[in-house]
Amino acid sequence: MTTHVKTILSSICLIGVFCATTASAVDQAAAAANLAAVSAISVQANANLSTNALSGDVDGIADWGDRCDALDAVAAQAAEAYARIESELASGNEDEAQSAYDDLKTALENAKNAFGGIIPPINPVDPKDDGKKNSAGGPGRPYDPPNMYDVPWNSQNMRDFYQSHFGNFWMSGIAPRDQEATPE
Amino acid sequence: MNKHSLAIGLVFAVLAGGVTVHSTYAQEAEVSVADEANIALAAAEQEVEKARVAIEKGKELIAQIPEDSPLMPDVAQVVQAASDNWKIATDSLKGAKESAAKITTASSEAIANDYALLAKVNAGVALSGAKVVQIAIVYVEAIATDKSEALDIIRTTMQDALASSSQVQFNYERVKTLIAQKYSK
Repeated sequence: MTTHVKTILSSICLIGVFCATTASAVDQAAAAANLAAVSAISVQANANLSTNALSGDVDGIADWGDRCDALDAVAAQAAEAYARIESELASGNEDEAQSAYDDLKTALENAKNAFGGIIPPINPVDPKDDGKKNSAGGPGRPYDPPNMYDVPWNSQNMRDFYQSHFGNFWMSGIAPRDQEATPE
Repeated sequence: MNKHSLAIGLVFAVLAGGVTVHSTYAQEAEVSVADEANIALAAAEQEVEKARVAIEKGKELIAQIPEDSPLMPDVAQVVQAASDNWKIATDSLKGAKESAAKITTASSEAIANDYALLAKVNAGVALSGAKVVQIAIVYVEAIATDKSEALDIIRTTMQDALASSSQVQFNYERVKTLIAQKYSK
């Protein structure tokens, strides 16, 4: 009889463990819905920016421009969090997936805040990160997600760099110059 | 024997209590998702209506633009984008309403939750499409009223909005596929 009771109790424990595991499972569909919500907020912010541009409200343009930029950054964070959920679930790391899901929920909250004008502050610059090359979020922001709209080769610094580079190359005499093509 | 029965009874009672608490939370969550779906649906309906009004205004604005205007190809492109997104917005709104109608008649809480999620995301697609239509009409208005200084900004917002709107659509398809996978197992 005691064995019977033990069997029942262990079954109950197993059911309990199963229920606990099911309850903590990350809902990937809900995560994708959150990701969609972030993008939908971004569309609305862009619509507001266009209305301000039409009315010629300079302050409004600056304000909504900042909000749109902040939303771009948040969208990148959200996409990164979703990618983490996918990879962690694929490798069976339930806790890590849950942590990524929480990050995605935070990104959605940040998106709502950015739309409402509460723009998250730029991360303080760590002196050791100054001048660090290949920084994802630009100089001094190495751990931020990259701005996908940034066109690095279109910056004045890059233009100056290539022009001086070409100047040096020209002066070195290796570049084709005004000389006869057939020396003979 | 009686002691054992009592112990088993107690364990079952505790477990049953736990399950009841768990299902109460699930019910609360379901109500919350269903509410969110209804709010999203109402917002989408409102924006689609605004887009409908904007399209009517857009027809008058296009008539004001001279036919030989150098920006006419831009207008044609923007109107095409507006037309595509109008179709997306109206189709998605219809789909969202259909999903929302199934929330209350679903056979289980889990299915009701999934219908609510589908309705919410589809309403997001409708809202995004409607907003893109509105931006397109703002662009036409800027050309018609000769506000060329605003065109660059509006053109950029249109591109960004189209990119984000396609992300919303992509994620809706993702949600649909994930939910379908859940029930095909």
